[in-house]
Amino acid sequence: MKNIFIIARRDLRAQFNSPVAYVVLGGSMLLLGVLVFWVQTSLIGRYWEIDRASVVPMFIYLPWLMSVFVIPAVTMRSMAAEKASGTLELLITMPVRDSEVILGKYFAALAMVLVLLASTLIYPLAMFWQPWQLGALDWGPVATGYLGCTLFSAAGVGIGMMLSSLTESEVMAFFMTLTSLFALYFIGSIVSLVPGAIADAISFISFQSRYQSFAVGLIDTRAVVYFLSVTVLCLLVAFRSLESRKWS
Amino acid sequence: MSNDVMIYANDLSKTFGSFRALDKINFEVKRGEIVGFLGPNGAGKSTTMRILTCFISPTGGSARVNGHDVFDEPLKVRESLGYLPQRAPLYLEMSVYEYLRFAADLRHLDETKFKTRARSVVEVCGLAQVLGKEIRHLSHGYRQRVGLAQALIHDPPLLVLDEPTSDLDPNEKTEFLDYLKQIGKERTVLLSTHNLAEVEASCARAIIVSRGRIVADGPLDEIRAKSGRVRYVVSVQESAPGAYRGKGAPPKKAEVEDALSKVPGVKKVGDLPTDERAHVFELVSDQGVDLRPEVFQAVVEKGWVLLELHRDAQTLEDVFRSLTIGDERRNRKLPPLGGAPQADEDDEDDDEDDDAGAKGGGEALVAKGDRG
Repeated sequence: MKNIFIIARRDLRAQFNSPVAYVVLGGSMLLLGVLVFWVQTSLIGRYWEIDRASVVPMFIYLPWLMSVFVIPAVTMRSMAAEKASGTLELLITMPVRDSEVILGKYFAALAMVLVLLASTLIYPLAMFWQPWQLGALDWGPVATGYLGCTLFSAAGVGIGMMLSSLTESEVMAFFMTLTSLFALYFIGSIVSLVPGAIADAISFISFQSRYQSFAVGLIDTRAVVYFLSVTVLCLLVAFRSLESRKWS
Repeated sequence: MSNDVMIYANDLSKTFGSFRALDKINFEVKRGEIVGFLGPNGAGKSTTMRILTCFISPTGGSARVNGHDVFDEPLKVRESLGYLPQRAPLYLEMSVYEYLRFAADLRHLDETKFKTRARSVVEVCGLAQVLGKEIRHLSHGYRQRVGLAQALIHDPPLLVLDEPTSDLDPNEKTEFLDYLKQIGKERTVLLSTHNLAEVEASCARAIIVSRGRIVADGPLDEIRAKSGRVRYVVSVQESAPGAYRGKGAPPKKAEVEDALSKVPGVKKVGDLPTDERAHVFELVSDQGVDLRPEVFQAVVEKGWVLLELHRDAQTLEDVFRSLTIGDERRNRKLPPLGGAPQADEDDEDDDEDDDAGAKGGGEALVAKGDRG
């Protein structure tokens, strides 16, 4: 247990010691702001024109942003870079279990994503609490929205870790994670365009269908189980992939 | 197995696909020994070390480190050793202190223990100047030292160092070996390298591997003696810039060769290249006979001027080359060596020399290598 914490702490420090953390944090906050306040949302119109105290638009854009930018950027290095530079060999030959390495790195990446999530709290807090009180915000959906984002991140970081452990190239890891997450999220958008059975199958797999209820204030236990299962599955694959070095 | 065996490898094999990286190697390293693990690139040195550090698993056989099996107790094995992989892969964005701290944390050293150990390794490895520096800004030499320091931080009874000196300049190498000597006083060290001078400088025993097999294992002197070839170099004056001090006229080359071949015990006389001032020959004796008194006597009787007479034991370099040369030749798809007489003095790294077919002893030893 202690080893997981030590490895996670080191990884997290490494993120903040390199420009990656700041680029990801700064870039995604900026992008999120632009998307939420200036871009027309298809569902509810321009943010300032709908005249409602709501942060639903933020929760619509957050998963996209995390899929195509934050999670790939945060997880790309975790295993791939260590394999490429050889530092993994030194880490693994310390008295640590393979599972501790995987979990340590997983939690470091997840923590990084959660730092970003936490910093987006600035938007609802600043607009509806202090210094501006633009209206009476219903904080319930905000809480479930963050819960949904957290679960989404857990699964997404799991996928990123898995893909990062399968390659030695950061760039490959980045694009594979981006593509996978984008695909898993995007297919949710075509549910209404395809016939019944396929639509069911898609909405079962899609991150978007699973996530949507959280964005509007519902806690869907099936979605909770789904996201956690994806996480566990991906970490198992990452673990096996790390272990496979022994036998290759 | 007795208590003072630190590393015990039994029939260790490893195959990567169809490539046989290790082929049933057996060896033991006793507590307190410093052992040089020698071999050309790709001979299986790193593979062996990775198995011993439980980074990879062997395909066959078993290994025990400090009494712990690499399959059953990998964590115990890793606790008993400090490992420095090839090229010291460290986290570049960390400072030296942070790195040592990280290594100590993973090895569960408490604060007081860490402080005493850190002080000691920083001193032994000469890191005081760079403690606060990021590793990315350090030279190779310093990185190796940091690598050594992290391997030592928990005071392990065994150190496994994979080519620790390969990227270093000669000064750094010497320094590194000095550190190693100090460190090796109180622990077991397994050091892999393809540089023989290093082994001669720091190890009492060497294990030579080639193509996944051990081709020699023992004290350096024994390995050197293994091929048993000793040569004598004789140099007789041919012409003098001033007055010739010998009896009569200076000898012709054929005369000298003839006289030397008649010396009792001489098996073979070889001509060595030289200038016009001297005739230089190398002599090979029958096993175990010291030719020097007889050669001296022969030259004196003829009244010639003896410029030089010395005995060359085969260097470790020669032994190494003859033991492992099959590798290179196989890699380059060259035919086996012919049985030409023993070659020039300056034959190191001389590829043409090899190709032309020199090295008498090479043949027999290559054959040995083939059989394992």
